[in-house]
Amino acid sequence: MSSMEGGDRDKKLVSPKISSNVDDEADVFEITDFTTASDWECFIARLEEILHEWKLVNHEPREPALKDQYASGTWAERTEEVVFVDFRFHFSYLYLKGNDEVTPKSTNSKREDVEESDDHKTPTVFFDLMNLENDFPMRAHYLCRWYGLQEFFTLMPVSEKQYIDSESRAKLLLSSSSIAFANCNCSIPVFIQLHQKWRKLFTGTCLVPGASIEFEMSHLRKFPPQFCHLAGLLDVFKSKLGCVYISMPPVSVSVRFTYILKDWFHSAWPQMPPDFSSISDGEVGYGDLDFLPFGACTDPISELHLSCTWPCLSEDMIVENSLYSDLDPLQAPQWNVKLQMTDDPQCLLGEFLKDFLKLCDRIESTDEVLKKVLVDTDGDKHSAEITHALQKLTEPVPALSSLPSLGNVVSSASSRIKFKPNEAPIPDILMDRILLYLFPDAKIPRSQSGLKSPSSKSARKESNVSLTSGSLTSSVSEHTIDEDKKAETEKISDILTDLSKQLKSAPVDSLTHRLSLALCNVNHNFGGLLGVAHLWQEFILEMRFRWENKHLICGIEKGTPNMGSCLLHQKLQMLNCCIECKIKRESAGYGYGPDSQNIHNQLPESDVVDASSPKAMKRLSKAASSLGYSDDDEEEEEFFECDDDDEAGPETKVDDATNVKDDDSVEGRAENAFSSDSSSLSCKSDVNDKRKELKNTSRNSSMSSSIFHDSLSHRPEGRMVPMKNVYLLNSGEQLYIPITQEPSPMTEDMLEEQAEVLAKLGTSAEGSQIRARMQSACLVSDMESFKAANPGCILEDFVRWYSPRDYVVEGETNLDNENDLDGESPEADQKGPNVFKRGHLSQRMQIPGNMWVEAWQSARAVPARRQKRLFDDTKEAEKVLHYLASMKPAEVVLHLMPCVVHAAVAKLVEEAAQASVPNLKNIVEPLIARAAKVTRNFPFDKKKYSELLRLIEIAEVFTARTVSLRSKFTSDHLTSPEQEGKETEIENFVTALLNLGEVLVKGGACGPAGAIIHKMFIASQRANNMILDDEDNEEDSVSGKPNQESKKNSMQTLQASSEIRSSSSCSDFPAASTREYILRAMVPRPAPYSKVLPQRMYCILADGESRLAGAFISDTTFQ
Amino acid sequence: MEEQEILTTLKILIIGESGVGKSSLLLRFTEDTFDPEQAATIGVDFKVKTLTVDGNKTKLAIWDTAGQERFRTLTPSYYRGAQGVILVYDVCSKQSFNKLDAWLNELETFSTKHDMVKMLVGNKIDRPNHEVTKDEGLKFARKHHMLFIEASAKTNDGVQCAFEELVEKIIQTPGLWETSGKNLTLGSKGGEPGAGQGCYCVV
Repeated sequence: MSSMEGGDRDKKLVSPKISSNVDDEADVFEITDFTTASDWECFIARLEEILHEWKLVNHEPREPALKDQYASGTWAERTEEVVFVDFRFHFSYLYLKGNDEVTPKSTNSKREDVEESDDHKTPTVFFDLMNLENDFPMRAHYLCRWYGLQEFFTLMPVSEKQYIDSESRAKLLLSSSSIAFANCNCSIPVFIQLHQKWRKLFTGTCLVPGASIEFEMSHLRKFPPQFCHLAGLLDVFKSKLGCVYISMPPVSVSVRFTYILKDWFHSAWPQMPPDFSSISDGEVGYGDLDFLPFGACTDPISELHLSCTWPCLSEDMIVENSLYSDLDPLQAPQWNVKLQMTDDPQCLLGEFLKDFLKLCDRIESTDEVLKKVLVDTDGDKHSAEITHALQKLTEPVPALSSLPSLGNVVSSASSRIKFKPNEAPIPDILMDRILLYLFPDAKIPRSQSGLKSPSSKSARKESNVSLTSGSLTSSVSEHTIDEDKKAETEKISDILTDLSKQLKSAPVDSLTHRLSLALCNVNHNFGGLLGVAHLWQEFILEMRFRWENKHLICGIEKGTPNMGSCLLHQKLQMLNCCIECKIKRESAGYGYGPDSQNIHNQLPESDVVDASSPKAMKRLSKAASSLGYSDDDEEEEEFFECDDDDEAGPETKVDDATNVKDDDSVEGRAENAFSSDSSSLSCKSDVNDKRKELKNTSRNSSMSSSIFHDSLSHRPEGRMVPMKNVYLLNSGEQLYIPITQEPSPMTEDMLEEQAEVLAKLGTSAEGSQIRARMQSACLVSDMESFKAANPGCILEDFVRWYSPRDYVVEGETNLDNENDLDGESPEADQKGPNVFKRGHLSQRMQIPGNMWVEAWQSARAVPARRQKRLFDDTKEAEKVLHYLASMKPAEVVLHLMPCVVHAAVAKLVEEAAQASVPNLKNIVEPLIARAAKVTRNFPFDKKKYSELLRLIEIAEVFTARTVSLRSKFTSDHLTSPEQEGKETEIENFVTALLNLGEVLVKGGACGPAGAIIHKMFIASQRANNMILDDEDNEEDSVSGKPNQESKKNSMQTLQASSEIRSSSSCSDFPAASTREYILRAMVPRPAPYSKVLPQRMYCILADGESRLAGAFISDTTFQ
Repeated sequence: MEEQEILTTLKILIIGESGVGKSSLLLRFTEDTFDPEQAATIGVDFKVKTLTVDGNKTKLAIWDTAGQERFRTLTPSYYRGAQGVILVYDVCSKQSFNKLDAWLNELETFSTKHDMVKMLVGNKIDRPNHEVTKDEGLKFARKHHMLFIEASAKTNDGVQCAFEELVEKIIQTPGLWETSGKNLTLGSKGGEPGAGQGCYCVV
């Protein structure tokens, strides 16, 4: 034992000054010459200054800490740097916060109890040393743990290299601080660190009125065996106190033994390593590629620490020496359990995702990556030529214009990338599977076909329908979880729906989603960057193939790009729009060039028709046969639109469309008949017009009885539906709403760009003018359609349809002309132009040269389908394809991160729910919120994603811990009849263990959790001692027991524990890994006539570290 | 005026039926003039003005939209990222008032910031024969958590005040404008198909 005995001597040198009263001190320091102030004095002055600064001078004693307050309360620390010559120290004040908040009343009453006199309060430190409520706190500063203090100072060397290793230096510091503290009348202990930092070796002092405390410590690797038990320690304590008196009061003892359970005999870590090999061999299901691994590779819980505590025993009640011990853990009144977690349990999902994100650091382009393994284009020319020849035979004429910048790799869109033999990053057979997973509509594996076209195409089409249903079921199965917990399932699906809404990713099971998972898997298991580049290249080829061959991309929902999804998904949606547009455009071959033709659809929903639907089939079958097709098609579309107007409207083919009708007869009919018939009429007339290719001829027979007052400049074309009760002003003809061009679909980056362009024009009048002109394309287009549909119309007619409030009906005072679609105009029941009330354009429309007039004048009568396309699908598709092709693998990864995160969080939620992780919502919700924020950010930020992945990993570890812990505590081996009905208690215990640091075991060894822990220890012990015999050998233990128990009756009531015990030749518990003792006594020091003062010694005996920490108080008045 | 740092740039929308005076309100606010011959807006128009409210200098990018039905396939694309909206009706036109619900619906669908500040403005109070009373306007605004004011672009009543109120309210709404500018933040309603309507490609 290292000794600090020398302290007494030094202290005596100092203490006379301290104990002398203030007047004396004034005399001493009266003639101080500051010019010769020593370093020592400077140091003291500095300490005093800090104490003043921190307002700890004349410090009032604090209240004793409440039960467990050390662990549950908050601790605060203040630190200043001080210098002694050139030796720098950190001078810190650590204290428990919030103790002052105890209500003043109770404080006062307590204070009265303990106050020895009016001006002499019991110092905090006395209370602390004897406070039994905070022995062995769960978490606290080590000095607090050793000495039970709620406030103290430390003086620690700043640098790791400099330390105080000589006793004289230690004493010097000790006395300096004593002087400083005495000068400040501050009775808070101060500790000075000695030797290397890791040893945590301190010496300390504290001066309270009438007494001084020495804090001494010894730290050894191992104590001599005679001191390694309670009896030996009691000897040390007593000898230190110098108590040779028979009258010495009994020492109070608190003991805590900690046992470590390392071997989980009953439940090995259940995580199965993921079996990635299943993808490359054996039958493949779609599930393999969207598989995300989950869980920890190693058991995330490494140890269980069981601490058995015997608080506050009297020394006579307990015996522990080298031969015998009363301290049986099963008899301990208090059990605490703490888990030791594995530092880095290697989480599969986290690793998987991090691996993927790592690709962001690669700067190579896809081509550069693949260059190494690509075959020279000349090399394999022969076979390539054959396949090309075959393709040329079977494929439709490819690409209107393939982008030269895409290079020769892409130019033969449907051919595979050629790799050197055996060097393809992803073997063919695997690539087929991946592609099949991505594009389930392509049933024929690509590798079979240089000639893929006719068969594979039809296969693609057939499977179009099955795809949607297939994707539905798979998405459902993905969400199915344990049926027993319906509410749980609902909760999860709630979370998952929320997830889909919050994250800016892509719908689950969309192509984008699948692609992200496939790339993740490829990266992790097949060739990393190279594999990713390979698959991405294949993906681009497929996209181009689909565009050129007019196959809609499956797994991408139709319609304009959804701005709530990630950019890549929007791009694919855009491409799909282009393909759809191209299909319509080219299949509707009127004989006009592809560019002059534009089929429109007012109702996008009505167009969501698969190629396999009956209607489309009809379309296709007729496509081959000349003009008839397009007419029918047109007609059908007409009906489609008309259905809106007539409620009953069945989709029937009106054969009598060529019947002669005049406006009156049309008017006379029922409303619904009116609309459908007249529209079919109009479209039939369209057909006829087209056939005769006339621009300026007399009416044909089908329109015969219509009376046109004005000369017609052309035949009506592109009518959609008549506008109820609205007639052309000049001719009195029915006014028709024309078929117009649909707005172009746009992705968010296009929109952004466009808004920027418009904004850049500035705020000047000219800017506004240009802006209006730029946006007038659609206005002009609509005007042209209108003119085509309504021969003889004037601007007023157009305005009445387009901007009804700008047509002022005479007799009405304001702009409010109800003569619009609502058909509420007073003229509703009147026919013909003669009775039509005339009006005029609003003032603003009459401004000479305004944009509307200008546009009207420039507009020619051209039906929408012959107009210049507002949406150039070819150009837009090429833009998308170029965008995809120019992405580097790193960019692809970033673009797909939102989907990856989406899938990962979904996986996490499922797994966590399956493991019934406590407070699932609390864990997941912040994660989702964070993910939502990150995924909405543009441009993508790699750092933010890696932070996000870190959060996912933390949640994964937590889930793995839950799984591990629960399996340990619910293992079948542990169940016994006694456990019946106590599941909830165990459940609560497990939950607490996961969320809190140290948990009290209810009922100790007798409680349900305690019994389980006991069994675990037994099993582990047996395994370690290789005991195979399961028979209980009760006799030994029973015989020894009764007298033990009689001794312990007073402190515990654990009678039942003997039943649980199944001790055999080895004990149930291993040797305690850590033993802690706190010895306390009230003893007069240093002389028998001195005041009776608290004395305390803490001792910890552990492997490789043994420590004694004593606080001994001596009376300074009566020595 | 002293050089002051611009606190933030705010995107403000003006929407409402055609002919209710949206462009006139904007012209009055930005240039303090009134043009009885204000041409009907085509698509969207755009004006910038800096405004100092409570000592905060803000730059307003104000997007004026066409009210015609047909343009509604085009204009909502510009709703994205707006922090404030001015919904205008004509106090002399009941119909323009009745359509407000439809406009709010559209806003709900296409705006990306769900806590955006909305202001209802009843315009043209200089005219006789009001068809919509102030009370009706107030009720509507209360029901939909909006600011409300009656104004006249012609006589310059309430115009300045309307914009200032709106901006002040936006500035007071935390989280609405701090991240404004660079980020492409988009609707949290991811699911709905067709939620993001396209618009005419004009360039």
